[in-house]
Amino acid sequence: MERIAKSTIMDANGIRRILTRIAHEIIEKNKGTKDVVLIGIRRRGVTLAKRLQQLICEFEGVKLPMGILDITLYRDDLRTIDVQPVVQETAVPFSVQGKQVILVDDVLFTGRTARAALDATMDLGRPQRIQLAVLIDRGHRELPIRADYVGKNLPTSRRESVSVCLREADDSEEVVLMDKPGCLISWNCPLNVLQQDD
Amino acid sequence: MLWLKNAEVVDPAQDLLALSDILVKDGKILEISAFFSEETVRSRAGGEEIKIIDGRGRLLFPGLIDVHTHLREPGQEEKEDIASGAQAAVRGGFTSILAMANTKPVVDRRALVEFVIAQAKRAGLARVYPVAAVTKGMNGQELTEMIDLAQGGAVGFSDDGRGIQSAEVMRLALEYAKLTGLPLISHCEDDDLAGGGIVHKGLASARLGLKGIPSCSESIMVARDLMLAEETGGSLHLAHISCKQSVDLIRQAKQKGLNVTAEVNPHHLIFCDENITLTATSFKVNPPLRTADDREALLEALLDGTIDMLATDHAPHTWEEKTRPFAEAPFGINGLETSLAAVWQYLVTTGKLPVRRLTEAWSLAPARRFNLAGGSLKPGQAADMVLFDPDCSATIKAEDLASKSQNTPFLNQEFKGFPVMTWVGGCLVSQLTEKSGIMA
Amino acid sequence: MIWKRKHILDIESLSREEISHILHTAKPMKEVLLRPLKKLPTLRGKSVLHLFYEASTRTRTSFETAGKILGADTGSIAVAQSSVSKGESLLDTAKTLAAMQVDLVVIRHTSAGAAAFLSEHLKIGIINAGDGQHAHPTQALLDMFTLQENLGDLAGKKIVIVGDILHSRVARSNVCGLTKMGAEVTLVGPPTLLPPELKVLGARLSHVLDTELPGADAVMALRLQLERQQSGLFPSLREYSRLYGLSGQRLEKTGKKTLVLHPGPMNRGVEITSELANSHYAKIEEQVTNGVAVRMALIYLLVGGTNNVMA
Repeated sequence: MERIAKSTIMDANGIRRILTRIAHEIIEKNKGTKDVVLIGIRRRGVTLAKRLQQLICEFEGVKLPMGILDITLYRDDLRTIDVQPVVQETAVPFSVQGKQVILVDDVLFTGRTARAALDATMDLGRPQRIQLAVLIDRGHRELPIRADYVGKNLPTSRRESVSVCLREADDSEEVVLMDKPGCLISWNCPLNVLQQDD
Repeated sequence: MLWLKNAEVVDPAQDLLALSDILVKDGKILEISAFFSEETVRSRAGGEEIKIIDGRGRLLFPGLIDVHTHLREPGQEEKEDIASGAQAAVRGGFTSILAMANTKPVVDRRALVEFVIAQAKRAGLARVYPVAAVTKGMNGQELTEMIDLAQGGAVGFSDDGRGIQSAEVMRLALEYAKLTGLPLISHCEDDDLAGGGIVHKGLASARLGLKGIPSCSESIMVARDLMLAEETGGSLHLAHISCKQSVDLIRQAKQKGLNVTAEVNPHHLIFCDENITLTATSFKVNPPLRTADDREALLEALLDGTIDMLATDHAPHTWEEKTRPFAEAPFGINGLETSLAAVWQYLVTTGKLPVRRLTEAWSLAPARRFNLAGGSLKPGQAADMVLFDPDCSATIKAEDLASKSQNTPFLNQEFKGFPVMTWVGGCLVSQLTEKSGIMA
Repeated sequence: MIWKRKHILDIESLSREEISHILHTAKPMKEVLLRPLKKLPTLRGKSVLHLFYEASTRTRTSFETAGKILGADTGSIAVAQSSVSKGESLLDTAKTLAAMQVDLVVIRHTSAGAAAFLSEHLKIGIINAGDGQHAHPTQALLDMFTLQENLGDLAGKKIVIVGDILHSRVARSNVCGLTKMGAEVTLVGPPTLLPPELKVLGARLSHVLDTELPGADAVMALRLQLERQQSGLFPSLREYSRLYGLSGQRLEKTGKKTLVLHPGPMNRGVEITSELANSHYAKIEEQVTNGVAVRMALIYLLVGGTNNVMA
């Protein structure tokens, strides 16, 4: 599918500033780092979680436990999407029992990924509380879900897509708004795109 | 009277392979010549109505004789009966067929031989000759009443379907059958060596994980039977030879001048074990499809006369029986309607088998060996004939087959070259029509 | 890789990429399996039926566990209690199950090709859980998974499979898979159980175990069916064990830390000594765990998407 880049929403500095702010908010809201753990949602949520871990370590001198969550097995659209998603490993090398779990993702869209992530997290144990941190909230929620930490609220149309590029995984470091001509959700669009939009 | 004009007549008995006209009167070949004038024909007809068929572009063979068919009647009429088998035969170009004795009950008494003949008369298509069992109930132990069976109309003896395991029983049978002058048809298979196998023991059995049937399970019995034929002076015909080792033994035996003939099935000349897949039960046959080397050795033997004749081993089985996992499906390939077209396609048009040799091996040699009508188009002979159109194309379709079963590996294949008209005793018993795809 | 396959019938038909994809998917499945709460919503509303024409505890239980963890409904048909014993044909039995809207049939059958047969006649997905002496693809995949976990990339690894190769669907599928992944496989057994035509499988054949052990990264012992002795295929357990039985002492000949695998159930003291089976070299229980993970991966791949879901 053709995707046309419309505008750059955020550059590398913007991303850095926002993550710094979120890191502070996390510390503030949880009154420190006690029992706080980070769980990044594959794929870009993992990179963001790592960066938050790094930043919090710089500010507080504490390296928070960090895990990786693959929500594929919890998706509610397995029966409708055309290409079967590849299941990746979930690696949460600590118990979430009684913890303050911060789920980290790049874009909050319909809320379905977050819903899946909540279920996936709770299958790992019973956290004290689960919070959600996202870089971009682009609206269009389909489920009653909101983020606790939002980098930027970005009003979008459903025709558009938001692409978060991080240098660990991509060629650049930016957030780009793109146009998806002709369709709301393309069944042919690659999975990583579907996931990062969500 | 029938005046068949301008056909390429293939008749090895007269050493004939030429464009000819042929006159048929009173069910017999009257005369054959390069050309008849209308005057001549009219005078030969003697006032009888003259039916003219233009055979231009087609070949005329003496009716094919298949010495190895299983017609399943009595007892397993859901697979085939004598009438459906006879119809399948004439559609496939066969004017005479030998029906094997492994029915239920086994044809081991004169009454059953006569039953087969009576049913064939009722069907009125091909000539059906019963082969009677060698041993009672085909149990491999006590000999049947061979004289009575021969007098009832049996043309040979065989326990085909299973090998006679006891060498002593085989020796006695060869001795005793001498009284009848009829050949003993041996199904060469050592049960211990075959050991419940499914496919040829070799690369295919290893690949598919199916129990193998080694070549020696056949060749050991071929060797045994040849030695017994030599010792007894009995008349021996070896059914469905499938491997090179057997061919070598037969070749040696023939050099010694033994009274032995052998047949090969078209599927053993066309396919080999590499063709088998686990779900293609139509390839499951006994003896099994062997290696490509065996296939070449068999063809060579057919060409040099070591193997005397072609035979279909027509073995009909129902769809239900063949629609099972490979190991559980019965052995056998349905052959009467497809074999001539298949041999033509795979062996004649590819230049591997001359048409003269095909006719000799599928008509003249069987007629001679089993002392049957037909086998040639010599004047005075019964007019058993097949008109073959090498340009006729058709796809083998299950619904078009006259046989009650469709267990052929050729299903849904398109062939070019089909028998288009078949006469038995001067009577037109089968004719291809446009509509049915194959034949009416 | 985009998964397109609807059936797992044998290893032969799988590409190297497909095998890698299965093993890759088995990894997260193993993580789930090792959780205290092992239950996923993934295949909620899907049903997997196990049609077993041959006695089996471990394979059937393994499949059932795998299906249940993924959230599918699972059921089993053991032949003795079913209408199969009333003479119903395999095709009719399977059609009946398909008519009940089952999504996946896992079949074990005594006849080679039974799974392939069903795949040709039914629209639903089929997994071969062992067909006669032909194939046992899920066992081979779990063996490969176990080897890969312990050895890393299988390319160039030396694997010895010893025992009754002729009658072993496990060996057949393993040779096929391991060679596809680049391993060097040697089959070892007495000539009666390792006839020369088995070279078609693509492995080296040998009749002497001791000369094949040096350098081996893994040795897989196969179960010896004791009734083969009555068929004359080997003279006695004593002699068999002397020539082809695995022991700690014998394993030292490899000159390295060699893994020992066995598909089970074991005849302790025949193809493997008890002492070796209990040692840390033996990965036999790990194989069982991995079996569930690999089967979870397969069930997910076959029914956890749209492509492979039938209308």
